[in-house]
Amino acid sequence: MALSLFLQSLVNGLNQGAIYALIALGYTMVYGIIRMINFAHGDFIMVGSYTLFYTVPLMINAGMPAFLAVFAAIAVCVAVGVAVEVIAYRPVRNAGSMSALITALAMSVFLENLAMVLFGASPKSIATIFTLPTFQFLGATLQLKYLLTLGIGIAMMIALQLFVKKTRLGKAMRAVPQDKEASVLVGIHVNKIITITFAIGSGLAAVAALMYCATYPRATMDMGSMMGLKAFIAAVLGGIGIIPGAMLGGLVVGLIEIFVKVYIAPGWYEAITYGILIVVLLVKPAGILGKNVGEKV
Amino acid sequence: MKKAMSILLSVSMLASLGIGQTAFGEEEDNVIRIGVCAPMTGALAVLGEGSAHSVEMAVEEINALGGYQIEIVNGGEPVDDASDSKQAINAYNSLMADDPDVIVGTYNSSCSIPMAELAQQDQIVMISPGSTNYEVTEVGDYIFRTCFIDPYQGTMAAQFAKEQGYATAAVIFANDDDYSNGLYEAFKEAAQENGIEIVYEGQCTTKDTDFTAQVSQAVASGADMLFYPCFLDTVPLLVQQARDAGFTGAIVGGDAWDGCSTTGLETAFNNAFYTNHFSYEDTSETVQNYVTKFTEQYGSDSLTACAALYYDAIYMVYEAAQKGGGTDTESIKTGMTNLEFSGVTGSFTLNDTGDPVKDVVVNTFEDGACKWYMTISPEE
Amino acid sequence: MPREKKKSYFINFVGVLAVFLLLAALFESNILGSRTNYVKGICTTACYTIIMVASLNLLTGFMGEFSLGHAGFMSVGAYASAIFTGFLPETGIPDFLVFLMALIIGGIAAAVAGVLVGIPALRLRGDYLCIVTVAFAEIIRVAFCNFDITGGGRTLSGIRSLSNFYWCFWVMVVCVALMYMYVRSRFGRTVTAIREDYIAASASGINVTYYKVLTFTFSAFFAGVAGAIYAHYMTAMIPTNFSFMYSSEFLTEVIIGGTGSLTGSVIGAAFLSALPELMRQFSTYRMLMYSVVLILVMIFRPGGIFGTWEFSLARLLKKGPQKKKRTGGVVHE
Repeated sequence: MALSLFLQSLVNGLNQGAIYALIALGYTMVYGIIRMINFAHGDFIMVGSYTLFYTVPLMINAGMPAFLAVFAAIAVCVAVGVAVEVIAYRPVRNAGSMSALITALAMSVFLENLAMVLFGASPKSIATIFTLPTFQFLGATLQLKYLLTLGIGIAMMIALQLFVKKTRLGKAMRAVPQDKEASVLVGIHVNKIITITFAIGSGLAAVAALMYCATYPRATMDMGSMMGLKAFIAAVLGGIGIIPGAMLGGLVVGLIEIFVKVYIAPGWYEAITYGILIVVLLVKPAGILGKNVGEKV
Repeated sequence: MKKAMSILLSVSMLASLGIGQTAFGEEEDNVIRIGVCAPMTGALAVLGEGSAHSVEMAVEEINALGGYQIEIVNGGEPVDDASDSKQAINAYNSLMADDPDVIVGTYNSSCSIPMAELAQQDQIVMISPGSTNYEVTEVGDYIFRTCFIDPYQGTMAAQFAKEQGYATAAVIFANDDDYSNGLYEAFKEAAQENGIEIVYEGQCTTKDTDFTAQVSQAVASGADMLFYPCFLDTVPLLVQQARDAGFTGAIVGGDAWDGCSTTGLETAFNNAFYTNHFSYEDTSETVQNYVTKFTEQYGSDSLTACAALYYDAIYMVYEAAQKGGGTDTESIKTGMTNLEFSGVTGSFTLNDTGDPVKDVVVNTFEDGACKWYMTISPEE
Repeated sequence: MPREKKKSYFINFVGVLAVFLLLAALFESNILGSRTNYVKGICTTACYTIIMVASLNLLTGFMGEFSLGHAGFMSVGAYASAIFTGFLPETGIPDFLVFLMALIIGGIAAAVAGVLVGIPALRLRGDYLCIVTVAFAEIIRVAFCNFDITGGGRTLSGIRSLSNFYWCFWVMVVCVALMYMYVRSRFGRTVTAIREDYIAASASGINVTYYKVLTFTFSAFFAGVAGAIYAHYMTAMIPTNFSFMYSSEFLTEVIIGGTGSLTGSVIGAAFLSALPELMRQFSTYRMLMYSVVLILVMIFRPGGIFGTWEFSLARLLKKGPQKKKRTGGVVHE
């Protein structure tokens, strides 16, 4: 019995971790390029989820696989993400990190309340997206969609890593945060790069929304803020700005939460997650995979 | 110095508002002025919406009867507390500016408690339609309510479990919420008295979406039933995850489940029950009249137990005024004390603290639709 | 104290007194009729919000670090003071003294929390510090949900109602004056130096960590005082009241008012605590409008409405309306 509970918790932890990781990838992508905490990223997931709420039934009625609805979600999220960047973030980019942070917070409040005005206050249940079998393994239940979430997370991570390290565009993206002026000098169009970054980040949010809704089939106006904060913590834990770090951080946070709930102190699991974050940041301020860089004088 | 200007600024703005609308002069003899407060925005806005409709309906009906007339202050609209205690105090004060005879509100216990303190101080009758925390009416003799209290509902859930023959129970409750804590504690106590063993106690928060850790332990504990006294928004998630984890026993909740969505989870919701104030299928005239009329005028989206409680609260004020023989606060208070009332949410007598003692309805689900299952009366 | 400065303090005090008398006259004369309590309630809310925002501005404006967990310190003060007045038997101690003691207990409890959080957290800077403050505030919230003495996740009710507007007004005046004096003192100037260039500051022999923790503690103390007012005004509270969103509301008010301007904090706080009430008619749309206003302010006045400008009645009387620009406003990179 004890073994099956342990295995079950491991499976549950990995699943929740994989969802955190998918969201954290978006945070880390944006932070890595423009050094800005995009608090509205969680709300892009909310946008994606509401899109899925409307498009999944359409797909099912049209006789197509439900997960194809993700392409509609990607389109909507990218549009919203780019609009937010161009309208709200770009004008404040040179005003300092504090203004950027407040703008992001305000954007988050704006998107949440816009959703309430547009879609009403009651939670929306999303139709089943995947009908996949479940396995029994040593007394633990393993759902195939858990593996799918983890698989998509890893695939995304590898794709992003290759994109950033190998392609021309990716190299330009890495150059921008290192030295904005020098990037302009070598012919990089900084604004364009940042907009592309947001487009990719928002697209990632749509994919995260798909897997989130497959596991927790519910869209609410405030779903982004809570998930967003946790995923963000995950990104920081792994080393913000580092793509494999987001994956690692997400899995670590998911596993910690589940295991604390089961074995240690159920009422304290959030406190313990945050506590571990604090300890990691104090010991290794750049996160688990981060490199400590000395300050330039 | 700086504070000077600021306060001046805000005060002058508010003052201009205040002077514009001087309070009602001499009160007409047969008009009861009621101030209504409900969560019109925020996470529980759907409850506020239904309540506003119900209040409108009740007022129309009563005013058509002749006799005492009802006027809802603030232009006939409930004021918003956004489920936030800070805003609740401001909402109460803004209602009081219109000089009402009675306050009907509000839903969240965390908002009603500070409001009740003020109402008692101002000596104005306050009737909370939906706050189930037992402390609300203990604040003083001006405070009453329409719903049953947390300990009572938890006890009734345990009684239901006993009648169903469940021997073991698992509980998952939100540790950051009055309602959930209250039901959990009462259930735990009553379960022990009824010989039901609690084999697992799990905690979550009101914001959680993942319950896999808790439900896997509930499954491992081999409980016959799972008690989940939390709000409607997370209920579908919990039920789905519990069923996915292989929990086949009964899942039981409280009145906060009323109105929860079952879309796509029709089979998962089989063998799930919740205690409530009334059943939509009740054939009594009052209930049928209310349900049909509400559905005709406003649709069924916002028809919840909360809305019905607001409807009854308005009727309670009306009957109290008749019993007390006047429309002023003191007469209504006299009328409210130990009032015998029969409405949508049951027939009951208010006890000495101002709480109703009434039958509890247990609802279940069939193909995702809410169905009456049984009615249990309190054991003496 | 130079005569000039003394005179200026005196003139400003007369100004504050005048405002107080004006408000008192407004409430006592019953001009507002039945709206008196409503307006009074909003003004009391404004009082503790002003203390909160001004104390956060000490960190944000003068130390140049931002905290997204200030509501955490507020809750420490609120719960500590509520527990204190709860245990105090109904003896012959006058209410005002009880209130004063509650404020001090609240402040000290929050200051202790400030030291405990500040020593480890202030090794970090910028975004990382911001995250750690969020984490600490969340830990405090979760802890209060688990302790029986704080209600164990349920509403802690029956707190004595002690915060009346007249007392709160003077508490607020004293708090803001103390913070103003701190900023203008040797300590305040040192902190500003650290903000401008911490490497240069530490190279010139300033113990950077000491001053940062000191300011952090000072700020937490006032947040605790505000929490004590809150507790004895609301008379009931639940740990979820002090969430991440509440903290971000305070930070927003600081930024809107102007980082580095206490005038801005006071006006920003007073205005933004009245704003939701003024917009009651728009119910569902009000938060939407609020966020749009915020974004517009950030785009067109990134330094906040008042920037670093401070209002002074003495200066106003002497020179007429004239903006005095201080050099070295807050610029974060």
